[in-house]
Amino acid sequence: MARHRTKRRVNGGSTQAPIPMTSLMDILTCLLLFVLKSVVLEGEVISPVPGVSLPESSSNSAAQNSIAIAIFDDVVMMDGEVIATVSKVVKSDNLMIAPLASRLRDAHEKSEEIAKLRGDTEEFRGRASIQGDREITFAILQRVMFTCSQSGYEEISLAVLEKS
Amino acid sequence: MPRRARRSSGHVVDGYLELMPLMNVLVALLPMLLLSAVFVKVTVIDLDAPPAAEAPAPAADKPSLALAVTIKDDYYVVEGQQIAKRVIQRAAADAGVQLAGALADVVVQHPENQEIMIISQPHTKYEDIIAVMDISREAGLPSVSLLGD
Repeated sequence: MARHRTKRRVNGGSTQAPIPMTSLMDILTCLLLFVLKSVVLEGEVISPVPGVSLPESSSNSAAQNSIAIAIFDDVVMMDGEVIATVSKVVKSDNLMIAPLASRLRDAHEKSEEIAKLRGDTEEFRGRASIQGDREITFAILQRVMFTCSQSGYEEISLAVLEKS
Repeated sequence: MPRRARRSSGHVVDGYLELMPLMNVLVALLPMLLLSAVFVKVTVIDLDAPPAAEAPAPAADKPSLALAVTIKDDYYVVEGQQIAKRVIQRAAADAGVQLAGALADVVVQHPENQEIMIISQPHTKYEDIIAVMDISREAGLPSVSLLGD
């Protein structure tokens, strides 16, 4: 590079020094390969709800398309909407969370209608994935699971972060 | 074309690659990929519904083991039919290893059983339940159901 520059000056050519692009290209290529490696091609079926700190697990089962219910801090959320407050739900002896049950029934009916319109003959299999914060207690988890199974969502899975 | 012009004017020909367009592409591609990249993968643990009260009793020739791990405040209890009850202190540094060992012993004695029930207290933390589920699965008991005490 230095030799080229000297030559140019001697010959009376342009004195404009070219930007050394090769090193920059090397950095960008390495970065691109690293990012490409970390991209999940299958696409994310579950995207963690902001605010939920999922526990880590050694499980490597891939998530399936399902209804996501998030439990964190003091709220139970479904489709980005707050459905119930944990402190109130836990106080009740009833394991059924009424607002969640009605939302699940609505979702169930909608899925069945869509299946009918599409002409699917398969029986409805309700799948729910629970995104629970690591700090929640079993009392609320039990109530959410019970409500799901009573509302036709019997295939329940717990969302976790894969241990690296 | 520009090369020929240069030659005629007596300039030294420098064969620089035109890297700018490639740079532009890479600079546009990188933020896009960085935004869509997933650095932490979300997986799931599939649960089995706990045995229903009205479910038919298992056949006499295949008695159910009813293997259960109870998570108490201070200790784990591993129990079931035809299994010696074991109590493992949670405060011990190797509580997880001891629990894994106890479950591995059960798996060796009863290789046909793949089911385990995890019985939790209402105030048991979700993180602790997941940890016991992991230990069970790694010990060879993939079919986990959650129950309340």
